[in-house]
Amino acid sequence: MNYQRLIGSSALALCIATQAYAGEITAWVIDAAAEKPYFDQLGAAFSAAHPDVTLNVVPVPGYVDAIQAASVSGNLPDIILLDGPNMAASAWAGTIQPIGNLLDPTLLADTMPGVIAQGTYGPDGKLYHISAYDSTVILWGNKSYLEAAGVRIPTSVDNAWTRDEFAAAVEALSKVDGVRWPLDMKLNYGGEWMTYGFAPFIQSAGADLIDRDTWKADGTVNAPEAVAAITELQDWYKNGWIVPASAGDNQFYGEKTAALSWVGNWMWPPHAAGLGEDMVMIPAPAFGPEGVTAPNGGWGWSVPASTTNLEDVSTFLNFVMSDAEVAKYADITGFAPSRAAAVPLSEKFSTPGVQDLFTAQGNCCAVVRPVHPAYPAITLSWSRAMLNIFSDGAADVQTELDGVAQYIDMDIEDNAGYPPFSAN
Amino acid sequence: MPTIFKGRSQELAMLFPAMACLVLIIVVPFCLSIGFSFTDQRLMPRPIPTRFVGLTNYERMFADRLFWQAIGNTVLFTVLVVPFQLMISLCVAMALNAAIPFRGLFRTVSILPLLLPITVVVAIWAVLYRIPTGPLNTIYQLFAGPEAYIDFVGGSDTAMVAIVVLSAWATFPYQMLIYLAGLQDVPGDLYEAAELDGATAWQRFRFVTWPCLRNVNIFLLIITTIQALKLFTQVSVMTKGGPNGSTTTIIYYLFQQGFTSQKIGYASAISVFFFIAVTTIAVLQRVFLKNEGEQ
Repeated sequence: MNYQRLIGSSALALCIATQAYAGEITAWVIDAAAEKPYFDQLGAAFSAAHPDVTLNVVPVPGYVDAIQAASVSGNLPDIILLDGPNMAASAWAGTIQPIGNLLDPTLLADTMPGVIAQGTYGPDGKLYHISAYDSTVILWGNKSYLEAAGVRIPTSVDNAWTRDEFAAAVEALSKVDGVRWPLDMKLNYGGEWMTYGFAPFIQSAGADLIDRDTWKADGTVNAPEAVAAITELQDWYKNGWIVPASAGDNQFYGEKTAALSWVGNWMWPPHAAGLGEDMVMIPAPAFGPEGVTAPNGGWGWSVPASTTNLEDVSTFLNFVMSDAEVAKYADITGFAPSRAAAVPLSEKFSTPGVQDLFTAQGNCCAVVRPVHPAYPAITLSWSRAMLNIFSDGAADVQTELDGVAQYIDMDIEDNAGYPPFSAN
Repeated sequence: MPTIFKGRSQELAMLFPAMACLVLIIVVPFCLSIGFSFTDQRLMPRPIPTRFVGLTNYERMFADRLFWQAIGNTVLFTVLVVPFQLMISLCVAMALNAAIPFRGLFRTVSILPLLLPITVVVAIWAVLYRIPTGPLNTIYQLFAGPEAYIDFVGGSDTAMVAIVVLSAWATFPYQMLIYLAGLQDVPGDLYEAAELDGATAWQRFRFVTWPCLRNVNIFLLIITTIQALKLFTQVSVMTKGGPNGSTTTIIYYLFQQGFTSQKIGYASAISVFFFIAVTTIAVLQRVFLKNEGEQ
């Protein structure tokens, strides 16, 4: 099975890899619905601005497998799109190169700090990844239900719900007519979402996925604060307050049997269409002493180590990170622009409005997922634990988080501490 | 050259392309994975050298709680799906072998599940299983009241059964076609003789049809068991191994370790174990279930 996949992806990689010619560059992008309209027009827009350079934008199905296969066989194109948290693993492996000196310093000067942090590799402090957007997670609410339950609706990160208020709101909402499950936490997503969407609760409580100085997980991911925070959420699950995975995606915006939805800004269009005037945007809760905490980051541009025509690549990177392009990306996809100068040019983000919450949370309260080459192991073990904890049979939180710590530390040990991160 | 190959250069030449592909695509990667299983090989290139780690991967595997859970789940799935799937295959084959009206049409319709990609089948069943208002739950609510529902896929007791039912539905036509061929091979005069002796329908099945299907049964038992042990897609698309690990199969666990977590060394150890286990089961079935006429 695994070899069949690998061989299939390699064959695909061979077919679409093109030789690097001066004046011609190839970029691989994800084949996803939300981003497709942007990537479809990117080649033509770039050619109009830079007629001397031909850009091939190739949407690749089965993207992560294809990139892995092409890295192994040495067939990566000039530019790739890479998911932010996987940058460190690629930088450590030496398959991508620093891009900070390819970008106009004025573009980097007003890029959101969370986006720079996501793209900066610790050991050499250099930038390897840059994204035109930032993402965040908020609580989307159904106003009618919230008013029926008589709960306060926070409007900015300064007056976000505390843990007690959040718990009280969920409990009150569970008693409102029409509400079957008060809170949708997108358990149906699985995968990376379970890390992206659930780590903020333990980070707000004072724990983290891994200690970012010693790079050890034991004592941090299974700290008492982490266990307490996840146990509280599991209690809500056991009370029947959280939409189970098998109820599908639309209990909040379609069936309207859920009153709150903890999900990222990409769900803005379906939520607006489904709820209309009833939709309210509520900041992420201040779940613990660290206050409001939200995840960030996402797909961005990286340059494989094998790429040589850096002049054209530099032209491309400065083009996609220009004010106009960053604004266009935001308008097409609904993600927040990663550069301040792009905000006034964006239709969706230029007028003050509820979406300011995205930018505000990104600037005040974003915690970057650990920029460490062990991230694949971190996210695999953590998301598996979350799925076990938030499912029928409700696994014991302490046992699961101890297992996560053990798994991560073993992975780091297996790689000799991922030198130069930690020498042990 | 051994004598059996003498004067058969043409046959050998014709065999060569297929054998070369088999060696290249199956034998070589398998030998590589035996080698990898003794190392800490990673999927992606890395700046530190791959080390020989001896039996560490195997020691870890045998001490790994999740590995044993995956074995238990895979065995459970196989034990549930094989008899169930063979039973519905045989029943449908017998119905389609009888002189029913529109037999050609029904034969065509019954192989439709085989024509659908398994991912599509899973998507269809995901809708059927949905809570709180999927079609199956709507039927359930007729009996149990409007607020009740069963979380088929989300319940740790029901998820495996849900996968068994959809898997059996998705692939039974293959077994059914082979049963149909087997049924058509049963000599008609045996039925005539049985009827003259006053055998009932059940007795005709028990003492004529069933013994005549012996070889077909053995073949299907082995094939279906191997197919069941390899369960992956349904789990990957529908339950992602959950709830609480209750549908994580060996292949799904291997995939997680090798691709998501990029531990090729460890995943190779699992695949070597899996190969040995499946081969052993298939050989045992072959040894204990002799074909008709074999001693």
